[in-house]
Amino acid sequence: MGDHCEQTMRKLSGYIDRELSDAEVRSVKAHLDDCPPCDKVFDFQAEMKRLVRRECCTDDAPARLRDWVRQLATEKAPARDQEA
Amino acid sequence: MDSDFSLFERHVDALYRSALRLTRKPEDAEDLVQETYLRAYRYRNRFKPGTNEKAWLFTIMTNVFRNRLRQRPAPTEPLDQPGTDFSIYDQLRREGMPVHLMSPEEIIVERGFGDEVKHALEELPLPMRMVVVLVDVEDFSYKEVASILGIKIGTVMSRLHRGRQALQKKLWEYSGRPKARPVAVGAH
Repeated sequence: MGDHCEQTMRKLSGYIDRELSDAEVRSVKAHLDDCPPCDKVFDFQAEMKRLVRRECCTDDAPARLRDWVRQLATEKAPARDQEA
Repeated sequence: MDSDFSLFERHVDALYRSALRLTRKPEDAEDLVQETYLRAYRYRNRFKPGTNEKAWLFTIMTNVFRNRLRQRPAPTEPLDQPGTDFSIYDQLRREGMPVHLMSPEEIIVERGFGDEVKHALEELPLPMRMVVVLVDVEDFSYKEVASILGIKIGTVMSRLHRGRQALQKKLWEYSGRPKARPVAVGAH
């Protein structure tokens, strides 16, 4: 693994999470375009992030909770017993 | 002023699904979200209009959650663990799977890595789990996560890194032991 590969792998999370500066994005992108093995690693890690999001976004709040929150602003929400 | 509360209502699904990952129980998650909204409502005048209301709500929720945990520690909470250098991709490559010829989706479906993501996430030690949920599921920036949890950005990054590796390790374990390396009888 060359220096460029190592540098890119170190910045991969930041790249996937869109946390890099424009200059860093350009240098990572240039390397990925040139280096298929690193590009495959990037593809896989990016898909893992999407997978986590996709799987976890299936749990919506129960309707009664949603109603309770909506009523809170109108001060009609039932009081909770165990407020502390 | 009260009409502004609708700004907060729209995040109920996000708060609930994250509460579920933190508490691991629907009834506890619901309770945590209720308390979060009660506080948000009580302190709504402290919210600075124009700032990120989702981050504000998550700050409240993680504080409430940590206080509760302090009062009633969950007996089954996994302990924090050192980083494990692990990547599913490297592991498969080492096993000789032609990963370079496959799309990430194919790799994930083929070995069933996607089947137990929630379960794997819930088994991560809390410090890592919180960061992975906030970054990967809720799409907060590192800076926002640092502010929500009251930790440094460097800590966010190291927990995220360790958390993702630990998550992949769990998914790897759930998906069945690699056939190339038989597991000793009695080993877990």
